[in-house]
Amino acid sequence: MIRLIVGIACMAATLAAQTASKSKNGIPRGANGKPDMTGVWQSGSTQPGPWEEANGGTGVGGTGKNPNAPAAPSSNDRPAGREGAPYQPWAAAKVLEAFNRRGIDDPTALCLPPGLPRTAMLGLFPTQIIQTPAQVVILYEYMNVFRVIPMTAKHPDDILPSYMGDSIGRWDGDTLVVDVTGFNDKTWLSGTGTFHSDKLHITERYTRVSKDRIDYDVTMEDPTVLTKPWKLQSSLMLREGTRLQEYVCAENNLDPGQYEKLLKDGVKFTR
Amino acid sequence: MARWRLVMALWLVAVPLLAHHSFGAEYDVNKPVTLTGVITKIEWTNPHSFFYVDVKDASGKVTNWKFEGYPPSVLSRTGWKKDVTMKNGDTVTVFGWHARDGSNLAHSREVTLADGKKLFFGPPAGTGDGGATPAVDVK
Repeated sequence: MIRLIVGIACMAATLAAQTASKSKNGIPRGANGKPDMTGVWQSGSTQPGPWEEANGGTGVGGTGKNPNAPAAPSSNDRPAGREGAPYQPWAAAKVLEAFNRRGIDDPTALCLPPGLPRTAMLGLFPTQIIQTPAQVVILYEYMNVFRVIPMTAKHPDDILPSYMGDSIGRWDGDTLVVDVTGFNDKTWLSGTGTFHSDKLHITERYTRVSKDRIDYDVTMEDPTVLTKPWKLQSSLMLREGTRLQEYVCAENNLDPGQYEKLLKDGVKFTR
Repeated sequence: MARWRLVMALWLVAVPLLAHHSFGAEYDVNKPVTLTGVITKIEWTNPHSFFYVDVKDASGKVTNWKFEGYPPSVLSRTGWKKDVTMKNGDTVTVFGWHARDGSNLAHSREVTLADGKKLFFGPPAGTGDGGATPAVDVK
């Protein structure tokens, strides 16, 4: 009799666990009932499937198998159809100047952390999310940077300005909302020359809409350089089987030297 | 119509990609090069990898060319195996774009390996140099 009761209890517990861990549309849920985004993802893609398949086999970093095909938009490019960034006129002139210099002033050319939302939207390198009820950790292969996002109501009161900012998270229904502040002014937002001030405030919304996809909505506010909040949308696609690797940018970074040489030798490269 | 569908399919596969490197500052999209020669050195390094090729001209003179490409993690996701796919002494044909400064440096795109297999060692021309349109509207 005891065995029967224990058996029924075990079955009930297993069923409950299954219900809690997976909903009808294949979105796993954590112990707290919230969508669990744990996994390895590729930003800036809408293509499902494993990495190599989703990126056109040998076409990773390109457009299919044609070596002459035009470049896919990079994190430095403005995608077709996107509205112009709402910079104040003086600031827009500065953005344009960086564009005309073909991005040689890119902070990442010095191997500095790429900042937000840029890091969250580039697709050449995978991103790993590790989610627990108390915190969400995001690991980025690109530049090997990370974010620890506690699910707390308040930023600490001793934040030092940083490249990736200070993040805190909360749930709005099934959407993870991340509030990021405490930035320095040394990164680009999204696109060549898209600088900002240390007053930058970012709100990210991560919504796992299916097993394969997280919708990413981001709002950037910076009254020092922008005329209004700048909103962008992107997505992350699940890449089962992909693992993060090491990326030590300073190992053999020849770009600053090359750019310096171009300027010194008067080689025409600007637009 | 079928061709258009193919173009659209390829476009959908395309995602925002390279982040670090400005192609256009160092390399000239109007100077494509295709060179055949023998591998002398391969460097799988961050943020970019390099390989060197001895190229013989019609008169028999040998010039060593340097080619730039993806970082190691991207090469491995693109189908390359370090020390296996391409080795010193292999004869390869490289398609890419010449450096603006006219030196024997090029940005590599497609490598045709000794066995005829083709793999991409670097991204397409124009990657990372700001795209066709600035982030702000120009008035």
